[in-house]
Amino acid sequence: MNSLTLNGKNISFEPGQTILEAARTHGVDIPTLCHLQAADHKGVCRICVVEVQGADRLLPACATPAGDGMVVDTHSSKVVQERKMLLELLVANGDHNCLFCEANGDCKLQALVYEYGVKNVARRAGYEQRPIDDATPMILRDFNKCVLCGRCVAACNDVQVNNAIPYPFGRREDKPPVTGWLPVADYDRCVHCGECVQACPVGALLEKKALGKAMTWQTQKVRTTCPYCGVGCQMWLHVKDNQVVKVTGVEDVLPNRGRLCVKGRFGYDFVHAPDRLTTPLIKENGAFREAGWDEALGLVASRFSEIKAAHGPQSLAGFTSARATNEENYLMQKLVRTGFGTNNIDHCARL
Amino acid sequence: MTSQTFSTWGRWVAGREQVPPDKLPSEFSKDQPLKAFMGWDGLFVHDTAVNLVDMARAYMEQARQESCGQCFPCRLGTEDMSAILEGICAGKGTPSDLDRLESLARLVTDTARCDIGQTAPRPLLDLLQYRREDFLNIIKSKTPIPAGHYVTKVTAPCTNACPSHLNIPGYVEKIRIGRWDQALSTIRNDCCLPGVVGRVCVRPCEFNCRRQRLDSGIAIRALKRYAADMELESGQEPPLQPGPAKDKKVAIIGAGPAGLSCAYYLGLKGYQSTIFEALNEPGGMAAVGIPDYRLPREILRGEANQVKKLGCEIRYGVNVGVDITLDDLKLQGYSAIFVGVGAPEASKMRCEGEDAGYQCFMTGVEFLRRVAYGERPVEGKKILVIGGGNVAMDCVRSALRLGFTDVNLIYRRTRAEMPADPVEITEAQEEGVKFNYLVAPLRIVAKDGKVAGLECQRMELGEPDASGRRRPVVVEGANFIIECDAIVPAIGQICVVDCVLPPEEVEITKWKTMVADDITFRTNQPYIFSGGDCVTGPATLIAALAAGKNAARFIEQFLTTGQSVPEESDYMERLISRLGVYYFKEKMPYADSTTKLHPPVMEPEVRVNSFEEVEGVVNSASATKEASRCLRCYRIAMAAV
Repeated sequence: MNSLTLNGKNISFEPGQTILEAARTHGVDIPTLCHLQAADHKGVCRICVVEVQGADRLLPACATPAGDGMVVDTHSSKVVQERKMLLELLVANGDHNCLFCEANGDCKLQALVYEYGVKNVARRAGYEQRPIDDATPMILRDFNKCVLCGRCVAACNDVQVNNAIPYPFGRREDKPPVTGWLPVADYDRCVHCGECVQACPVGALLEKKALGKAMTWQTQKVRTTCPYCGVGCQMWLHVKDNQVVKVTGVEDVLPNRGRLCVKGRFGYDFVHAPDRLTTPLIKENGAFREAGWDEALGLVASRFSEIKAAHGPQSLAGFTSARATNEENYLMQKLVRTGFGTNNIDHCARL
Repeated sequence: MTSQTFSTWGRWVAGREQVPPDKLPSEFSKDQPLKAFMGWDGLFVHDTAVNLVDMARAYMEQARQESCGQCFPCRLGTEDMSAILEGICAGKGTPSDLDRLESLARLVTDTARCDIGQTAPRPLLDLLQYRREDFLNIIKSKTPIPAGHYVTKVTAPCTNACPSHLNIPGYVEKIRIGRWDQALSTIRNDCCLPGVVGRVCVRPCEFNCRRQRLDSGIAIRALKRYAADMELESGQEPPLQPGPAKDKKVAIIGAGPAGLSCAYYLGLKGYQSTIFEALNEPGGMAAVGIPDYRLPREILRGEANQVKKLGCEIRYGVNVGVDITLDDLKLQGYSAIFVGVGAPEASKMRCEGEDAGYQCFMTGVEFLRRVAYGERPVEGKKILVIGGGNVAMDCVRSALRLGFTDVNLIYRRTRAEMPADPVEITEAQEEGVKFNYLVAPLRIVAKDGKVAGLECQRMELGEPDASGRRRPVVVEGANFIIECDAIVPAIGQICVVDCVLPPEEVEITKWKTMVADDITFRTNQPYIFSGGDCVTGPATLIAALAAGKNAARFIEQFLTTGQSVPEESDYMERLISRLGVYYFKEKMPYADSTTKLHPPVMEPEVRVNSFEEVEGVVNSASATKEASRCLRCYRIAMAAV
């Protein structure tokens, strides 16, 4: 039970799995472009179509449930030919020139075009220039590079649930003339979380702060925890020459599963701020001087002890921050309760 | 006209055979305006004057328009095919265009997401296979060809099954993307009582939902109700605007679904109407025939109020034929009249004693009418209801709610033949109704002028009759008496148009129904139109709404041009219905295992205590999930005229 033939090999699958999931479990790669797991967004690009014996058409692997006894070919000559033709149409329906593209080297379309040896052939329906949305300080939307995969729409409406990119599809006549099916942002609702940028498989949505800072292969990815609040979102710092050029969420891990907010994604300037404190400072005679950690902590501990001895433990209190991690907050209350000997401990998130 | 029949129809669906030209529907014959037809399953033609290449161009242009832009092959492929065909028809084609067309057409049918892409290139592929020389001749001549005249309809299995042809995939998709307001606008294009139909429709659409071939069909009715519920909950007024005011006004007889629908669509066009209604509230049989636990009265009143806002006045308690006559209406300056008086009287059982006037014997129609006005029309503990339709179900379930402790249904066939909605039957059983199958009434047993019992015959099933159901046959010598306190027969309804309109002026059948054209709804009098149950005999609410809507279109035509004649699109609609859009035997290329949405239902032991609505509200998450199961089986039909 629950087995199918994939490219001539018998494989087992879990009930409820799609052909794509079953194939990936067994290390067989089926290309995808629009598939966005977090939003269950699928079935749009049709790049993942496969040949299933007995079916009168090709079926999308991402949206077709695996069936017992199915005979599936993921790379039959027909499949490859139609994928190639689809990619050819797609390339001709946009301004896809990797020389001028920020996403060069990190682009699903580029990778597929390379893999399938697609040629650059003009479309019969032609191609009309589309608008560029440069209206906000954080995100550049160059719709000439947009493939209309709908990932940004799903990311905004179904992952972050900001509903700031209205569903753009529907009958041609019912759509506005210039923007048509383009995923245009509604900036009254947009919170600039940048989820759409992260979801974009090509170079249509870009972070303005990162423009021209580094080519994708020049950066190193450093994993870290977001310092802004206690959630502990996991993020990648894209670093070139010891400078952060971009931040993205780490997909598929808790707690954020790739999601970031506007602060985590765009608020990293403080890392390289020249006036950022790098050592403790002690104020003496009205002016700060640099000090070591041992000296500074010793000073603080002795002063607290003096106050406690003179006025009792109730004269001390602790107040912690949402920017500290859960563990740090725990340690803080431990310090206040056992070190200070008081229950005067509170947290900004309670205000 | 040179006649030439050619057909590729039917060859695209596995398990079906190509339809030969002589087996095509009668709409497609010499004296009909349709000369050639292209659709989701091929094409057929019988007139050489039609340039099939130009028609293919027009068809592909329509597909390009209908493409929703979502899946890549349909969006890009239809655009390119359309551009190539435009080029060929402009005299700028090359022979290699045909190969490109063919590969694009294959790409789109093979890989598109929904039926627009999967089916639209089929007639083109047929032409490229059988009539390639037509294309080559135009390419060689290098001269543009003139554009023909075509009518187009976009349909779907569900849409076609609906008497009012609602754009069901359209509104389901709007619900999927969270736009219940847009969904309601789509619904209101073809159905003016969304909350009512969303509760009590017999939903032919759901029985024609193609998703059934994969796992289980879409809960279309529940989704319609969801959209209507959301509007009520939001407190928003429906965005309805009467059209620019016209100087002619229309009289409508009957404020039932047909009359309300006619008034609504006339109102949208700017025509004022006056509805004359015998009851003292709107809705007709929907108000006094459907109990509140299925259709709360305030929903019906609320939606009837929306009709009034479009410039319609309802005069209650007016019996046309008694309080006011046809001549009066003419004198009062009504330029046209719509008759939608329904089928308000009960059929006879042909059972001894039914006309004797016994106490506690009452027809189902009368019983439900009295219940609707808050009465307990018959006394006692044990009641017998005779019949197997939805009215019988309404009677037994109402009887339980009135405090009858022993409620029995008598039906002369078995459950399999019962015409009532399966959901109604199940819910009645859950509530404790006792079903007696293969029993027919023979004689009412009375004592002191009051019902005491019913003498019945035992039946068995014989050969199938004209309706295809097995005919019940009497088992001789097996009669028996059921003692009871009350008897309510609910075996059907009849029309009484002769009580409303003078038979010497309007043509009435021997069944006392109106005679009206089945496309234009016009009667023998050019200014009188009629639709709904009073023409067809007892049918469905949605069929009455459809009749009112379509009649409004022909009334408008009559008021502006003085005549009412079918339009090409009407022939087209009928042709599509005859061809059939849903193939019950279609084999799907894979199996799925999603389940249909079932709205929450009140527990049986709670619901039998009151007339409170049984079915509950569907939440947004469930509605969105249900809507995402729609396969969008849109099909494009085009005819050359």
